[in-house]
Amino acid sequence: MALVNVSGLRKSFGKTDVLKGVDFQVERGEVISIIGPSGSGKTTMLRCVNLLERPTGGRIEVDSRVLCEEQANGSMTFADKAAIREAREHIGMVFQRFNLFPHMTAVENVIEAPIAVKNVPKPEATARAHELLEAVGLGHKGDSYPMQLSGGQQQRVAIARALAMDPTLMLFDEVTSAVDPELAGEILLVMKRLAEQGMTMLVVTHEMGFAAEVADRVLFIDHGRIVEQGPAADVLQNPSHERTKAFLHAVLDRAPMEAEVEEAAEGLVDDLLVRPERIGGDDDGS
Amino acid sequence: MDLDLVWEAIPLIWKGASTTASLTAWALVLGTIGALILALMRLSSIKPFRWFAAGFGWLFRGIPLLILLFFAFFALPDLNIGIVDGILLEPFQAAVVALSIWTAAYQAEVIRSGIIAVDPGQAEASEALGMAKARYMRRIIIPQGVRIMIPPYTSNAMTLLKQTSLATLVTVPEMTLLTQRLFSNDFQFRERIAALALLYLAMTTVFVVIQQVTERTFRLKV
Repeated sequence: MALVNVSGLRKSFGKTDVLKGVDFQVERGEVISIIGPSGSGKTTMLRCVNLLERPTGGRIEVDSRVLCEEQANGSMTFADKAAIREAREHIGMVFQRFNLFPHMTAVENVIEAPIAVKNVPKPEATARAHELLEAVGLGHKGDSYPMQLSGGQQQRVAIARALAMDPTLMLFDEVTSAVDPELAGEILLVMKRLAEQGMTMLVVTHEMGFAAEVADRVLFIDHGRIVEQGPAADVLQNPSHERTKAFLHAVLDRAPMEAEVEEAAEGLVDDLLVRPERIGGDDDGS
Repeated sequence: MDLDLVWEAIPLIWKGASTTASLTAWALVLGTIGALILALMRLSSIKPFRWFAAGFGWLFRGIPLLILLFFAFFALPDLNIGIVDGILLEPFQAAVVALSIWTAAYQAEVIRSGIIAVDPGQAEASEALGMAKARYMRRIIIPQGVRIMIPPYTSNAMTLLKQTSLATLVTVPEMTLLTQRLFSNDFQFRERIAALALLYLAMTTVFVVIQQVTERTFRLKV
């Protein structure tokens, strides 16, 4: 049975329908990349999985726990507070903006939840925190405060913090978007290793390289619906929908930009400015 | 201005300093406890709590402190509602009641604004980790909010200290009342009032120092 079962998921903010009926399953050990233009609803979809957003329709089940369910009359029933907290213990989440606790050291950040939620004795939690920080390459930074760390380091502490709860599922919400590009690699490397160790992961990302290399499956979401999903290689290399193609053009074009700029410098300025795919891609992303 | 008369007045007025200080201390302690409760009520998901706290702030920030003080001292003894048949307070008690209510109303806003100024991502991260609200308010949100609260909280505390001078008008023998007694005997207004001002300044300076120390304590390590 799938670890995550989402069906008919809908979410509106006021009159804006952000998710218009989303169905997907995640098997144990599977790594899924969720891609799509900004505003497509991919982050909202991820945040529904641990009920940081409360869906307005549909059903979510994680690890055989029903978190919310739409009744026949259209009303929503949610698991009670304690059950939601219990489910969240097993669902790690890493945020775009890290959200580390700024008044605590790296180690204190990592041990807070195991002590508070699982009653792990402090020495035990601390030993585990050091192991986890070691595993994300920050064994020497345990006593540093978040503001003393680079974005890439902070995000790796945030990953260690989530892992300290021994989750069965990890949610990643554009975790490299707020760090300098040269620091994204160290975060992606940690995620790749995590995937290799069999962690079930849902990864909202703009990193197509990661999606191609690490993800088992890719979901392309646009305007609140899953437009296309399948094995990473299929979706990324042979997309079957026009919107997927347009999006991938827009995103993948960014990578060879440097080379293009060089070409442009050699007198191909006009060509660079009127690339039709890029214009199409921009429209799609707006 | 005769400086000798200023210095001579200081020990005489200083006799009221302990009353000024204990009015301030009582009102600050009781008022802060009240403010914390009001702030949490204001942020609660239970509507009647929010209404009560908002109404309290509206009422007691909207009425002059002097009127609160007169009410506590002169009007409470005549108050008849239900089983309450007049509450007769000593001048000092009446002043503590009025000053505490005033402090609670103002500091509640300081505490509330400090809490809502904390990045909502902090609560989200705590929730995602499965932490209960009571736990992460205490461990994550309030410690960060305190940093934001220190300057306005201290300002209000300094205002409170100075406002205790109003207790003169219900005959609490604090510094301002003793000064009045002095200058109504010898008419040395300038010197006596200057001495009084110096003493208030000395006492408010304590708050300035406390603010600097606490700000340093709560500063984030960079």
